[in-house]
Amino acid sequence: MYHVVLTNRYLTSRVIPLIAVGAVALCAALVMIVVSVMSGFLDMVRDSGRTLMGDVVIELPTRGIPYYEDLIERIEALDEARAASPMVDSFGLLRMPYPPGDSKQSEFVQFWAVEPESFARVTGFAETVHWRELDDRERRTVPEWDIRRQLTPRVLRDGLALHDSRTDRPGIVLGMHVAETNQRMPEGGYHPMGDGYWWMPGFDVTLVTIPLRDVGGQIEPESFIFPVVNEFVSGVFQIDDVRVKIPLEIGQRMLHMDEAELVDPDDPFRVIGVDPARVTKILIRAEDGISPDELRDRVTVLYDAWVEEYAARDDLLVLPSARGFGLNIRTWEQVQARFIGPVEKERDLMRILFSIVYVVCAALVLTIFWAIVHEKTRDIGILRSVGCSRIGISLIFLRYGLVIGVLGSVVGLILAFLIVRNVNTIHDAIGRDAPVWSWVTAFGFAAVSLLMTILAVKRERMLPIVLWSLGTIGMLGLGLILVLHRGTLVWDPTVYYFDAIPNTLDVPNAIVTMIGAIVFSVLGAFIPAAKAADTDPVEALRYE
Amino acid sequence: MSEPGRTTPAGTAPPTRPGPGPYRGPNGTEFILRAHDVYKTYRMGRVDVPVLKGASIEVKAGEWIAVLGASGCGKSTLLHLMGDLDQPDPGKGEIYFEEKPVNQQSRSERNFYRNRTVGFVFQFYHLLPELNVMENTFIPALVGLTRFSYYARRSEIHRRAQELLTSFGLGDRLKHRPQELSGGERQRVAIARALMNQPRVLLADEPTGNLDENTGGEILELLAEQHRAGLTIVMVTHDRSIADRADRVVELHHGRVVDPA
Repeated sequence: MYHVVLTNRYLTSRVIPLIAVGAVALCAALVMIVVSVMSGFLDMVRDSGRTLMGDVVIELPTRGIPYYEDLIERIEALDEARAASPMVDSFGLLRMPYPPGDSKQSEFVQFWAVEPESFARVTGFAETVHWRELDDRERRTVPEWDIRRQLTPRVLRDGLALHDSRTDRPGIVLGMHVAETNQRMPEGGYHPMGDGYWWMPGFDVTLVTIPLRDVGGQIEPESFIFPVVNEFVSGVFQIDDVRVKIPLEIGQRMLHMDEAELVDPDDPFRVIGVDPARVTKILIRAEDGISPDELRDRVTVLYDAWVEEYAARDDLLVLPSARGFGLNIRTWEQVQARFIGPVEKERDLMRILFSIVYVVCAALVLTIFWAIVHEKTRDIGILRSVGCSRIGISLIFLRYGLVIGVLGSVVGLILAFLIVRNVNTIHDAIGRDAPVWSWVTAFGFAAVSLLMTILAVKRERMLPIVLWSLGTIGMLGLGLILVLHRGTLVWDPTVYYFDAIPNTLDVPNAIVTMIGAIVFSVLGAFIPAAKAADTDPVEALRYE
Repeated sequence: MSEPGRTTPAGTAPPTRPGPGPYRGPNGTEFILRAHDVYKTYRMGRVDVPVLKGASIEVKAGEWIAVLGASGCGKSTLLHLMGDLDQPDPGKGEIYFEEKPVNQQSRSERNFYRNRTVGFVFQFYHLLPELNVMENTFIPALVGLTRFSYYARRSEIHRRAQELLTSFGLGDRLKHRPQELSGGERQRVAIARALMNQPRVLLADEPTGNLDENTGGEILELLAEQHRAGLTIVMVTHDRSIADRADRVVELHHGRVVDPA
């Protein structure tokens, strides 16, 4: 029982345990923050993959997959598949409506021509469409300048349908960063430049693309004028920066993949057949509880059977098998593998590197405890003289280490949670010039410190002179840094893939880190505890 | 106050005990604690410094014995050996409590011996600075108690500590920290702590060595009161006038106990 009393007293009546708790907390928070951001990053990559392309993708670029409606119907009949959606994709130039004047800017874009209804069933498209009427709850939180306050339900409806209902024309939905006029606000929203004037929905844009022949070579460029009906935010900067969505039939027409009559090369007026419409990709969504790998295997078998059946029916039709050249049936993870793999490795590497922090934590605790045991040498002698056992004495310090580990890891958890949760706010604050109040406050503290230093000099007290002088220099330095600070962009979305830093604490990792911090704190206390147990009571009592 | 003839003269062979039963000295006196022919050597750097060279002392139950000697003669070492804070050189002497060799007992028995059988009072008080007066006093009572057994005996432990402190004139200082007390008050707390578990023997190492004459006198009076109540006391001191307060005085010369009587 004396361990409890002494541990409590040693913890509550001295400053040194607070330093140890602070050291453990900082170490634990550091590991939690780094691994949380890395894990969040990985999760975002994974989530975005699924949100953007469903679970499994059948790809046959350039040539395209004919009779895809039948294939989709068969895929949707599978128990493992919930929905499938056809699309064609290629690259093009988008003539933007800005700047004012005749000379307009063009943006390089990747266009996905999709069937909006089935596409929304397979992917998270509906959730990514940005401009929509606010509900009552959002209206209370969204700032006054947000243009969404003026929107009607039509904007969302048109965006989801890829159709301009006012002019009855096929519409285009742009990635939020395709148009340079959209400015990301610190609060997370977007505001078009010109105080809302350059809000893209309402403007027309022209998409130009060059269709390719499946035997090689190019066809004449094709162009189409679309009204912008909405914009989407996937959260993946590289996608929001280049991707646009248009209706499938327009994409097929522009890429010459729509249905066409086959004519006799010797007699152009003689129709010899029909070239079916084609798509370059089929996106498939798995049923709940079905893994993408299971679905891929099932689709592969189905596809091969389907190809065999069509090859028997039509001699002219040449389609690669599931493992044939040019055709890929892959899960979204395989599609993203080149990106996910390095991020996973990077996270593991970070974990290993930051594990060194645990050792630092143990070394800190060991150093602090060594000092505590040294300071408490006489107490150890006293306790031995009243009958405390060696194990009992070492338990005091082990218990001390345990409490410091638990307190430090809990404080570290709170610290990590607060920082990770507000990481984007902190980042935005670093990205701006320091506000006036911050450096005025720093200089104010510096002035107070200077005054206290002068008073200490008058009283000829050395320690206050040193402490207040350090305070004055520190506050002056901080004030100067704040005055000179200019916004620094640390998290550049063009480099880091996403437009926001992941801000969710990785709970399993946090638990492991907390356990690690506690174990290493106890380990750090172990050697000093053993030293305490071995202390000769007579020597200890002589110690002054 | 010394009673000649009650101890074995230092340096002579101890009386043998033919069989079970209380140990008796040459005159048939019953002893509670005795050191027999103990040697203790300390190593100072590369040099061995012999401190005790076959010291023997016998303490009768209820006796107040003073060990007198110059500074550095080994008085405190002898006391530490008797209280099992230290051990004689291997194979060179033994400490007996009620004829049981203390040094040959298990670790837990020896911890129990220091906790319940003897109580230490030091020259420099040796109070724990983080604990208040009350906690310093009852800390020996917490040794060996689990959390549950502590809560079961809590009121009894607190009452005992409070009674002791009140009887020593510290009833209004229970919540004070040692650094808020005078030297005399600190030594009273140290005595209260030593008596907390009602030990059989009180081992006092220069209990007045750090106090002025008046305060030292008060502390000696306190010890005398405990002695009158039946407590066995072994006190070491370098001051003849203080030693004379004891029933019997033995002297330590050149590492051996000499009974002036």
